[in-house]
Amino acid sequence: MDENKVIICRCEDVTLAEIRNLIKQGFTTVEEIKRLVRSGMGPCQGKTCGLLIAREIAEITNTSIEKIEIQNMRPPYGGVTFEEVIAGDTIEE
Amino acid sequence: MKNRASVVVIGGGVVGNSIAYNLAKRGVEDVVLVERSFLASGATGRCGAGVRQQWGTRQNCLLARESMKVFENFKDTLNVNVDIELKQKGYLLLAYSNNELEQFKKNIKVQNSLGIPSKLVTPQEAKYIVPDLNTDKLIGGAFCPTDGHANPFKVTYGYSKAAENLGVEINKFTEVNEIKTEKGKIIGVQTNKGFIETSKVVDAAGGWSQQIAKMVNAELPVYSERHEILVTEPIKPVLDPMLMSFSYNIYCQQTPDGSFIMGYGPDNEPPSFDMHSSWQFLETMSKKAVWLLPPLNKLRIIRQWAGLYNMSPDKQPIVSKIKEVENFYVACGFSGHGFMIAPAIGVLMADIITESDLTYNVVLDIERYKRGEIISEPSVV
Amino acid sequence: MNNIEKAELIVVGGGPAGLSAALAAADYGVNVILVEEREFLGGQLVKQTHRFFGSEKEYAGTRGIDISKFLVEKIKENENIKILTSSRVLGIYNDKIVTILANNKMIKYSPKALILATGASEKFLAFENNDLPGVFGAGAVQTLMNLYGVLPSKKILMVGSGNIGLIVSYQLLQAGVKVACIIEAAPRIGGYSVHASKLARMGVPILTSHTIKKAVGKDKVEGAIICQLDSSWREIKDTEQFIKCDAICLSVGLSPLTDLLKQANVKTSYVPELGGYIPLRDENMETSIKNLFVAGDVSGIEEATSAIIEGQIAGLNVAKRIKKDIDNQVKIEKKIAEAKDELELLRAGPVGEKVRNGLKKIGLDPLKNYGEKVSTEEFDISFLMKTGIPSKENLKKKLPLSEDVFNKGPIAISECFQQFPCDPCVKSCPFDAISENGSINNIPYVNFEKCTGCGICVSKCPGLAMFVVQKNYTDSTSLVTLPYEFLPKPVKNQIVLVLNREGTEICEGTVKRVRDGKIQDKTTVVTIEIPKEYFLEARNIKVDGGQKHG
Ligand SMILES: Cc1cc2nc3c(=O)[nH]c(=O)nc-3n(C[C@H](O)[C@H](O)[C@H](O)COP(=O)(O)OP(=O)(O)OC[C@H]3O[C@@H](n4cnc5c(N)ncnc54)[C@H](O)[C@@H]3O)c2cc1C
Ligand SMILES: Cc1cc2nc3c(=O)[nH]c(=O)nc-3n(C[C@H](O)[C@H](O)[C@H](O)COP(=O)(O)OP(=O)(O)OC[C@H]3O[C@@H](n4cnc5c(N)ncnc54)[C@H](O)[C@@H]3O)c2cc1C
Ligand code: SF4
Ligand code: SF4
Repeated sequence: MDENKVIICRCEDVTLAEIRNLIKQGFTTVEEIKRLVRSGMGPCQGKTCGLLIAREIAEITNTSIEKIEIQNMRPPYGGVTFEEVIAGDTIEE
Repeated sequence: MKNRASVVVIGGGVVGNSIAYNLAKRGVEDVVLVERSFLASGATGRCGAGVRQQWGTRQNCLLARESMKVFENFKDTLNVNVDIELKQKGYLLLAYSNNELEQFKKNIKVQNSLGIPSKLVTPQEAKYIVPDLNTDKLIGGAFCPTDGHANPFKVTYGYSKAAENLGVEINKFTEVNEIKTEKGKIIGVQTNKGFIETSKVVDAAGGWSQQIAKMVNAELPVYSERHEILVTEPIKPVLDPMLMSFSYNIYCQQTPDGSFIMGYGPDNEPPSFDMHSSWQFLETMSKKAVWLLPPLNKLRIIRQWAGLYNMSPDKQPIVSKIKEVENFYVACGFSGHGFMIAPAIGVLMADIITESDLTYNVVLDIERYKRGEIISEPSVV
Repeated sequence: MNNIEKAELIVVGGGPAGLSAALAAADYGVNVILVEEREFLGGQLVKQTHRFFGSEKEYAGTRGIDISKFLVEKIKENENIKILTSSRVLGIYNDKIVTILANNKMIKYSPKALILATGASEKFLAFENNDLPGVFGAGAVQTLMNLYGVLPSKKILMVGSGNIGLIVSYQLLQAGVKVACIIEAAPRIGGYSVHASKLARMGVPILTSHTIKKAVGKDKVEGAIICQLDSSWREIKDTEQFIKCDAICLSVGLSPLTDLLKQANVKTSYVPELGGYIPLRDENMETSIKNLFVAGDVSGIEEATSAIIEGQIAGLNVAKRIKKDIDNQVKIEKKIAEAKDELELLRAGPVGEKVRNGLKKIGLDPLKNYGEKVSTEEFDISFLMKTGIPSKENLKKKLPLSEDVFNKGPIAISECFQQFPCDPCVKSCPFDAISENGSINNIPYVNFEKCTGCGICVSKCPGLAMFVVQKNYTDSTSLVTLPYEFLPKPVKNQIVLVLNREGTEICEGTVKRVRDGKIQDKTTVVTIEIPKEYFLEARNIKVDGGQKHG
């Protein structure tokens, strides 16, 4: 399989090859990998890639996936524009 | 993990890693660094990562300038192949009052005397540098083209890699629970992964440094405070420099990937270790941001988070040994600018531990508060 | 920084779980704000044009979209429920403030309780060229087809044979898209056998122990390379096969949409049986954070029926906490107990084992009151679960013991061999001729004594597993009555091709009767006359000018 052609994170275009490479270098948490290659930093916050990366980590480091933490999720879910935030703050009761 | 070390560095943020690297570079063997989570999981990985040399005090200018030299030549200086994504498109500091402008003038004198290429700009020039800028009430600014931004995770990683190359052992996911002393002397560090025998400990635990100091019954004059930050979706490059206003208490920057990062200094934030984000921040930040750069209006915020500022009485770093406990060293109190001076801090701490003369002529020891030598730095957010 | 509105209960998500949660709480006077991101309520139900399997009590046998209509009707009538559609919950903050994007404004609420029923998101698969245009998720395909009426392709490869993969394949066939084949990495079909059998009858091959290696094509999908897997899921050498297709549909599972829960720092745990990282919660659906409840797929991937009941449990518990008068407390307690029993029953069969194992992992006892009555499969369905085709032995067990029964007249044959929670057949028969022996998880049997051959059950079974046969129509011919869901519909006296359970053409038949009334609700019931020798074989038809099968 050509790992360079397998996309893991579609928002940031991160390939399986990049992910495996990092895990082999000792980056064995989803959060570290996210900071190095931006996987899961897109708008979806890693909904799809998180699980795939966790599985890769489990496999390469020979740990059970139960032990692997998924990435953090932060507000605002799905994103919000500045003007939407401001509009909400200025409406009258 | 080694069970014996000459020095144990506690904290795997940018400061701890810089210290570990500089110690090894001086030839100190058996340096061990311990970090309870992953590297840069604390303030470092959460910070705005701006690097500026436009400071008000001579010593901050010096530390920032020397650090910038390292950022500029990172790969060669550290001999590692890590791209820290340094972007040098300047810092534009905004003045809204005569007092502020006067202060900038004074600062620039100091900066220029140290070879930092900053200069005063008019509102028109500011608008030229940042076309989207709202120049309402703006009376001028200061600009230094070589200031900028670097990837904090990559910088930390670069330091750790370089340290490892020189023989430092880096232990992630290793938490220090206790520092053992005997007759006032350190004998070792107890971690969740085992005991490390050592006589020297460096406390580089950032927002948690006062907790580490408590382990040797030392009280550091610092506390931690939550600071929040947000990031937007990426767009094409439109904002070159970091924008900063001291009177409106904000900073805002477009990173090389195109997203905007911004934050402000909160009023009345109580001391705490709380790192939750708040909706209040989202609202206040939005108003400030759109006021400053009106076209941001339509931009989508995709994530907000928070980190800890570690605050000292003069909001300036403490890089020092402490009197109470022999061979216990601290590097803390970096408030909002520990990232940009971390390269120089590592050098200073290595000086202190190896009992050499300080490479830079600065005063950052903890005794300065007792001596009444409070550093007065006018340019902080 | 003010204008924070107070609220009693906020329900996030307008799928079956959220709808039933809102109703359950509102029925006891709780003021509910129901927030749904999309412009319409209904969640996953809206895209489901098929009849739901499950408990008739929770609307099984009805098409998903109609269940949704029914629930939404009730919601709209309820004065205690304020509906916010096109509204997305953005954040749940530490101070319990909930921010919602509604009408281009971020508004804020301070609720007493929260029920999160945000459903699930699709899993993605790692294979070569998985970013090639033409690689879709099953959800996207359904949205294109059922909401926008757009066909994703001409010929599709389906990856994954869970219920969703099977149902979407069937819907693709209905829409006129060819299904090259369905591949499944596991050694057995993941979904219910009745859904697989529908596809087998259309001639769609189902290949178990197969996976996709690579999408092929220059600028878009032109085919795929698949291969066979051994028992430890490793590729078997030299089993590569090229499948020509112009789209690949991934249906490899769902995982709970826990973003908001993670934001709120609810404790989660990885439980593969329930779809991935799920929130820890107690039997009342309350999470590690007080007054924060979950229901439906977000608490673990299951089905609409269980989502509805979980919603009730969560909603009732909120009502109990907010409406404190004694009278209500007793009533609510009773209802909660009933709902829990129903849920246990639903999970008690063999197909519930996975869910039960998952729930045990988070410290719940999924069969608290049900004890050891759990059933194991009655039949050996290994062949059926590999191919979608029932074995001879399976069939024999559901036929009358004596040939004489066929001489009596038309009788119903139920070709349903797997134990799973489903009962519309039982509930639909006006003569009480179908029984599951008291448990929704049991296999239904026709009481040939009672059965009149009326054919009502044929259109009601969501698995299309009910047929009526009349062996001795004439000396040489039999009548077979079967369900048919394709266009064009056959007309009386038309000659049609007749297929067996594998989708092979076996003979011609003459249409004798077409029932297409309100009762049938789009599942046309067709009676054909065929040569007698085929009366136990003929299970599908091909209508001239109709959809091409397979
Ligand atoms: C929102 C925000 C924006 C900022 N913006 C900027 C900016 O633009 N420019 C700039 O220069 N600076 C900025 N800063 C400041 C900068 O981030 C910090 O000063 C700097 O990162 C401090 O680094 P550190 O290594 O001392 O601390 P940290 O990065 O916090 O590292 C301390 C480490 O110690 C570890 N630790 C704690 N306790 C233990 C224990 N018991 N055992 C083991 N390990 C332990 C922690 O896990 C942590 O990783 C910002 C800070 C914040 C919060
Ligand atoms: C193809 C297919 C066929 C199926 N067939 C059957 C069947 O025959 N029988 C059966 O019992 N089950 C079936 N199911 C399963 C069933 O549809 C689901 O189990 C059920 O819909 C789960 O309900 P839910 O309310 O938990 O989630 P959903 O129905 O997914 O609803 C969740 C809702 O929450 C909304 N939401 C999410 N986040 C937010 C937010 N932040 N703010 C506001 N709103 C938000 C979403 O927009 C969505 O409308 C099928 C599923 C599929 C995909
Ligand atoms: S054919 Fe009629 S009587 Fe017979 S089982 Fe079906 S519904 Fe009941
Ligand atoms: S025969 Fe009955 S139990 Fe089986 S699928 Fe049909 S309705 Fe459900």
